[in-house]
Amino acid sequence: MEVRTLALDLGLVGVLQTGADPPADAGWYIDPRTGQRVYYDPNTRSFYTLAGGVYIPLGYMNPAPKQVAIGPGEKLKITISYKYSGPAVSGALERFCVGVYGVLGFNETLVGENTRSLPASTTPLPYTGTYTFTIPTNVGGDWDDIYCKLYGGSPGVPQTLFGYENALLIAGREPTISELTIVDFAKV
Amino acid sequence: MVLDIVLAPMALTPGTFNVGETVRVTVSFKYTVGVNTAVKIFAGPYYTNIFGKHMVDSCVGQADVPLPAATTPAPQSATVDFILVPKAQGGIENGTYGLRVWVEGTSAVAEQDNVIIVAGNTVSGDIFTSMLPMLMMVMMIGMVMPMISGEE
Repeated sequence: MEVRTLALDLGLVGVLQTGADPPADAGWYIDPRTGQRVYYDPNTRSFYTLAGGVYIPLGYMNPAPKQVAIGPGEKLKITISYKYSGPAVSGALERFCVGVYGVLGFNETLVGENTRSLPASTTPLPYTGTYTFTIPTNVGGDWDDIYCKLYGGSPGVPQTLFGYENALLIAGREPTISELTIVDFAKV
Repeated sequence: MVLDIVLAPMALTPGTFNVGETVRVTVSFKYTVGVNTAVKIFAGPYYTNIFGKHMVDSCVGQADVPLPAATTPAPQSATVDFILVPKAQGGIENGTYGLRVWVEGTSAVAEQDNVIIVAGNTVSGDIFTSMLPMLMMVMMIGMVMPMISGEE
């Protein structure tokens, strides 16, 4: 009887390292936080999932690793870091946004931008950018999402987005009450 | 097999009050708010029937509680007084009631069933009401009898 072999090439399968640079090779990886298999394409510098034969880009919004409580008049400082290699770029923009992320996308309620010049480099060089918002008195209780974007310039840098959902605990004009308890009652 | 049931004690011990007395309720809570503000806290007795829980509106008290701005949950306490208005004045009947506290404009509510025992409503009013028809009949007989006696 003839033995027939079905050979499947799964390609490279590896575990992504938290905090490390994106992998250099295209292929399937395992997200160590979720255990989800994701596909990385170095040409688009994006991760994808595969469903119904279609590669779907992973969303740019992620669960926030921590929450910051903040209210009107207080200052919120957002710091980003990234690496860049390529030709020299002038006028690239770092965009910082606070707002509401929903089914229709990100509603930017507070926006700030820095202009950056990135020198030419053949190896990835680290950069950081910061922006400080002053929370206005009319802040909405649902302005709890943030995202940052690197884009534009000449020549243009590849647009890169990253955001956190529920990153802020907004103390707005209306009070939020919790743990209401009747401690005691007595005749006066 | 061991069925392990733990009965948690009631947080509040029932108390007996006479109508006309003032009850002071002490509450605690945590809050966050971006600006200095104030909230109204209400407290009062409620009764339960097949249609649900109902406040005795005539006995509900309220207090304004200032809340300094706090972006992280801050502890706060407050007291609310309410008067057990007698039934004769449109208030509460004798009986056992629950105690509810809530903060206006929020979903914050705390309550406990069967902790306020109300007494002290006199029953003289009820006796007079039940005897009123009999008194009227006696009065009518008193008016009619002289007329009958006069015809003779």
